[in-house]
Order: sequence, then C-alpha cells, then structure tokens
Amino acid sequence: MSSLLERYVQQVGRYLPRHERAEIQAELRSQLQDQLEDRFGAEATEADVTAVLTEMGPPHRVAASYTQERYLIGPTIYPILMMVLRQGWLLVPVIVIFLHLFGLLISGQTASLTNLLLEPLLAALQATLSFSAIVVLIFALYQRFEREFEKEFDPFNPAQLPEVNDPHTVDRAEATGGVAAGTIVMLVLSYFLSVGGLTLRLNPTPGDIIPVPASWMIVLIVSGFGMVIVQLVVLRRNRWNSGLWLTEMILEMVGVICLYFVLYRPLVERFVQSNPALGDIPLAEIIAVISGVLSLLNNGTRLIRLLNTSPRDPVPKAVSTSR
Amino acid sequence: MTEASEVVSQLQQELRRGVVVLAVLSQMDTASYGYSLIQRLAERGLEIEEGTLYPLMRRLEKQGLLASEWDTSEARPRKYYRLSDLGREVLAQLSAEWFATAAVMRRLLDGETHE
Repeated sequence: MSSLLERYVQQVGRYLPRHERAEIQAELRSQLQDQLEDRFGAEATEADVTAVLTEMGPPHRVAASYTQERYLIGPTIYPILMMVLRQGWLLVPVIVIFLHLFGLLISGQTASLTNLLLEPLLAALQATLSFSAIVVLIFALYQRFEREFEKEFDPFNPAQLPEVNDPHTVDRAEATGGVAAGTIVMLVLSYFLSVGGLTLRLNPTPGDIIPVPASWMIVLIVSGFGMVIVQLVVLRRNRWNSGLWLTEMILEMVGVICLYFVLYRPLVERFVQSNPALGDIPLAEIIAVISGVLSLLNNGTRLIRLLNTSPRDPVPKAVSTSR
Repeated sequence: MTEASEVVSQLQQELRRGVVVLAVLSQMDTASYGYSLIQRLAERGLEIEEGTLYPLMRRLEKQGLLASEWDTSEARPRKYYRLSDLGREVLAQLSAEWFATAAVMRRLLDGETHE
C-alpha cells in the first residue's frame, strides 16, 4: 500500500495542469517531508502525517492555490449574462406555450387535457433550459476570447465619456434584449433546421412542416450569432461606434435576405396554394423589400448620426493645479 | 467570535496578504527551501501557512522575482529559491514604499489616538 503522503501528493496532482504537475508534485513532496522531519524526526507515524496533511488542507484546494483563478464567465460580463437570462426566462416560456397552443388550434386536432397542460409546460421547460444553455455557452465563448474582442478597446479617457443623449451610448435594456431575442431566434431556427422546415408543432409529422432550404437557414443562424456577439461587445464597451454599427447593419441585411428564403417565400407559397387568386402578386418579394428598406432606413439613420458625431479629444486636457 | 473580532480577523488576513510578498522577498537573499523559509519567518514573528507560502514562492518564480534550483546532493532532493536580479530591484522599491506607507500610517494612527 502506498504511503499516506504519496497518496496525498498524487491526489493534488490530479487537479494540476499537466505541464506543471510533476514539478509541483516533486516540490510538494519534498516540502512535506521537510516539515515531517522537522516536527516528528525521521520516524513520523501515520498519525503525524495525518496531522500535517490535515493542516495543509484538501488536495483540490492545495492544487487550486498553485493555479490562477479562471472563470467560465467572469465578473465583468456576469451582470450582463444575468440580465439576458432574466429576459429570456420571462419570454421563452410565454412564447413556447403560446406557439404550442396556437399550433394545436390551427392543426384542428382534438387535444386531451395532457396535450393542453402538460406538453406545453414540458416544452416551455425544455426550451428555457436550452435557451439558458446556449446563452451560457455564448458568454463562455466570449469570456474565452475576451482579449481578442477587447483588444481594440481604447484606454479609458474621461474626456470620451458620452454626452447625455449621445448616439454612441448603448441602451443596455435594448442590447440585452437583443442578445436574448437573438438567442431565442437561433434556438427556434436550430429547431427548424433539425426538423427540416417551418412548423408550429413540437413533434411534427411531415405534413406539419413547410420545407425550407437548409443552407439559408444555416447562414441565418450564423448571422444571428454574429449579431449577438456584436451586442455583447457593445455591452462591454458600453458604447457604439460606426464600425460596430456597420457590422450590425450588414449582419441584419444578410438576415433579411435569408428571411426571404427561409420564411417569406415558403410561407407565401403555402398561402398561395390555398388562395390561388393571389398567385400573381409577388408577396414574398414585397415583404422582403419592405423589411429591407425599413432596416436600411433605421440602421442607416443611426450610422449617419454616428459618423456625424465628431470624435472627442483623445488626449485629456491638462488640468492646471495652480490657484 | 464577536462581530468586531470577526471583522478584525478578515481585515488582518487582508493586511497580511499585502505584506507577505515583501516579507518573503526580504528573506531570500540567501537560497532557501520552502520549509526553511517558513521557520525563518516564524522565528522573526511572521507565521505563514505552508499552503500559502509554497504556491506563493512558485508564483514569484513565474514572475521572475525568484530563481530556483533543485539540490540533489542530499539524501532527499530539495528545491532552493533565491532572489533574482529583478527580485532584488523590486524588493528595494517595495521596501521604500513600505517604509513610506508605514510612516504615513504611524502619523495617521498616532493622530487618531491622541485626538
């Protein structure tokens, strides 16, 4: 049987990074042996070893003291995470329950009490958990690559603090709402992608699904993910700039184009099947153009305001201390 | 434990956390291994737990303030640490900072006591 000390050192090693493990273990072993020898002489009993190891503390704590603190989600973005999660926890169950009941209603199927009560609740729970998992994953990714995202951050300069009503200022509620909504949309789109098209049913049969092109769906999910990341960067910076707004605008335009293929056109085609008289009107194209123009107008106006706002003096003016 | 002594205990820990690096650097002009340093500091009135000191020495080595070397000539191998050139420079600056802070604190606390 291995000695108590050796078992302890091995356990500490289990919690250490591989590249440092052997070195720290050797050092710890030597330090513990020094301590035992000094306190109890060459013949330390198992009780003596137990006393020393108890003073040292549990192996995982000793190992943790050798390594730097690392976060899955650090204190700087944790408050933003909680804001986004709270918004999602309010929205997701309501949306899922509504869609579930609406789906039942339009399907014309008779629903048992279980269908009406239990299934929507379970679906809401499942969707809320999925939403939380995706949001945490996005924030964890952001944390992992935070340095890259924040590399371009300017050093803090009080002279650059935004004016009241400055167009650069971030509306935090809007931005966190954007992250929550973006995540919900990605969640819904991923579900559509997995079942092969648009549906309001949670366990759809092929007849319940309106097929859509998967490639456009993937592009839409990616652009949605990009928009969520932009919102996160903006929330951390607490400030828009024209580059970030332009990125957001381009991603939104990509989204509008994708929506034409994955939403407007399939829905209009289904609608025209039941209303052939409307077949000559390019409804999908009209909707896409209108949404594109509205998006361009909204984002373009903001972009022009951002571009027209003169940048502040990057160097703080010297403050005279003489009286 | 009373409320006051609980607060004092927490603040004492914070105070010690701030001085322990300086205390360690001050004793590293001659090469020392972990346990010998604990003893030396204890003899001079500063008790530091093993679980605090051993990782700290390794961190200071990573920062370049200490240099280390394994001595395998004895019955058991030991890792010896000593001040590096950078560590010596940092120690000098930190010591000056410490004395200046201590002088200020003495003035502040004396003033507080005599008012």
